[in-house]
Amino acid sequence: MRRFLDRHWYAYAMVLPVVVVIAVLVLYPLAQGIFFTFTNINEGNIANPVLDRAATYTGVGLTNYLNVLSGDPSFGSFWSTLIRTLIWTFGCVLCHYGFGLALAVLLNRQVKGRALYRVLLILPWAVPAFISAFAWKYMFNAQYGIINQFLRALGLPDPIWLGQSDWALVAVVIVNVWLGVPFMMVALLGGLQSIPGDLYEAAEMDGASPWQRFRHVTLPGLRSVSSTVVLLGIIWTFNMFAVIYLITGPNPNTRILVTYAFERFFSGASRDYAVASTYGVLILSVLLVFASVYRRALRKQGEVW
Amino acid sequence: MAEVAYVKASRIFSGNPPVRAVDELSLDVSDGEFLVLVGPSGSGKSTALRMLAGLEDVDEGAIKIGGKDVTNVPPKGRDIAMVFQSYALYPHMTVAENMGFALKLRGVNKAEIKEKVAEAAKMLDLTKYLERKPKALSGGQRQRVAMGRAIVREPSVFLMDEPLSNLDAKLRVETRANIAALQQRLGTTTIYVTHDQVEAMTMGHRVAVLKDGLLQQCDTPRALYDKPANAFVAGFMGSPAMNLKTVPLTSEGAKLDGIVVPLERHAMDTASAEGLNEVTFGIRPESLALVGSQHHGMEMTVELVEELGADALVHGAVRIGASSERFVVRVDGRTPPTLGQTVKVAVRDATEIHLFHPESGFRLTN
Repeated sequence: MRRFLDRHWYAYAMVLPVVVVIAVLVLYPLAQGIFFTFTNINEGNIANPVLDRAATYTGVGLTNYLNVLSGDPSFGSFWSTLIRTLIWTFGCVLCHYGFGLALAVLLNRQVKGRALYRVLLILPWAVPAFISAFAWKYMFNAQYGIINQFLRALGLPDPIWLGQSDWALVAVVIVNVWLGVPFMMVALLGGLQSIPGDLYEAAEMDGASPWQRFRHVTLPGLRSVSSTVVLLGIIWTFNMFAVIYLITGPNPNTRILVTYAFERFFSGASRDYAVASTYGVLILSVLLVFASVYRRALRKQGEVW
Repeated sequence: MAEVAYVKASRIFSGNPPVRAVDELSLDVSDGEFLVLVGPSGSGKSTALRMLAGLEDVDEGAIKIGGKDVTNVPPKGRDIAMVFQSYALYPHMTVAENMGFALKLRGVNKAEIKEKVAEAAKMLDLTKYLERKPKALSGGQRQRVAMGRAIVREPSVFLMDEPLSNLDAKLRVETRANIAALQQRLGTTTIYVTHDQVEAMTMGHRVAVLKDGLLQQCDTPRALYDKPANAFVAGFMGSPAMNLKTVPLTSEGAKLDGIVVPLERHAMDTASAEGLNEVTFGIRPESLALVGSQHHGMEMTVELVEELGADALVHGAVRIGASSERFVVRVDGRTPPTLGQTVKVAVRDATEIHLFHPESGFRLTN
């Protein structure tokens, strides 16, 4: 042991700062969050140095988990919220990927003004999310918004987009798709450019139609990029708090797991830190399970990842 | 099985000025022939092949396969198979899937595909690797898969675009012989592009030499070597290259350092008809020989000796007029001269001299 340290102390000394930073910024909050899920901590019983009050919360075992997983509406109707979260996540990621791929394929060929299109399509990414969220909120305004004016001009029904109905979910999905497509497009464009051109020529010589070339050359060529960006997209969208909250606020029709955790933590009669933490741990678990299943599925297809 | 014809076919790349990558190429390839297109990079040989494949437009003229005009037919309708320089194997498919892909697209039933793939794999010694992905194969095996993919389709024409340039030297020589033997056996018309004149000489029934998009000469390897049509072909075919020097002409012959090499009658007549007082004089390294000091010959100072085993290449400087010119002589490998030594070099046989027009480069000798 002594000799080991003598020899390698320098390496450990170099690694130490990062270990400390990660421990302080990631591991400690995570451990504390998990600890809170086994207590009844809230605004009323947390230690408060300003009021010179000591902590009075107590351990409650698995009560929080049992309450949340029962699906009780007073604890956020966990199961229906989970289903809405999954609809939101897969709806968004499917549209991100579909539109992103279509735009990437369009931009991967020689078109006039290609550079301009690329810049324009990346623009949503460059605008701060809250600015675009507010812009969309105005556009979705039921009476004065440009979207409803347009729909009325076409003689189509004009729903109250951001009201207490499922239209609100549709609206936030639209905004999130608009925000997320550029990332997919850029990533897939990179993937497309890494496919050697002679593979397309070989396929053409083999008698493949344009659709067959897309299916047998483009899609397999994009597989490793796709699997990575889809996983990232799912994780990001699953936890996409900003868009939903900025556009609809605490609306039960757009409630997903992470927005409910936020509501529980920062609003309500007594801020319930314990239930919010329980939601946090459950979100983490869902994503961990998902990621490992996803990885196993990819490995079965022979993808090294 | 089919014959192939280029009829004044041109490919013009837009630009300022436009580049005529292939310029009015006319070439007839008969059924079952192995034709090699050779030239330096930028000569248009690959473009010519891609025009035949349908991957490149034909801007002027026409291309015919089996007597049928295919100028505007897409690759799919031409019944040709191509082997790419990079092999272009589909990375996500196994060897068997790669080889059977074209048949699968054509809707051939699975049992038949399997049978044909197995047959081609046996021919190419790939049976063991059928279930592997291309990235688990060596370069030589990948090259064979690319060949297999072409063979399985039983096309009427094979196109090969520098298929050996990614192999190491030893494997290249081996594969060269295998491809030639395979073509012989299948009897399929083959157009083969290479920049390597040794490949061209050893593989082709006929060789077409291109330069700057223009066909220079198309003939059997022997004829190209013995009677190059111009100075470019003379310098390009053969390794080491032919010694090509501009020398003054007198009434007796060509004047080189102290000696006058007599020239054949026909060449002298042509030269005098053109009013030339200089010619491009060409002689292959093996047509020169070292002679004893009592003989007539050019004096050469040895600057470099490359020993190849069986023979040696002697590079040296010879004075022609006021300038010093470099010559290469092939000599017996066992008794090469030493560096710095001055030796006497003579022409082995006057019939092995090639004369070309100093400006146009056209052949003057018969």
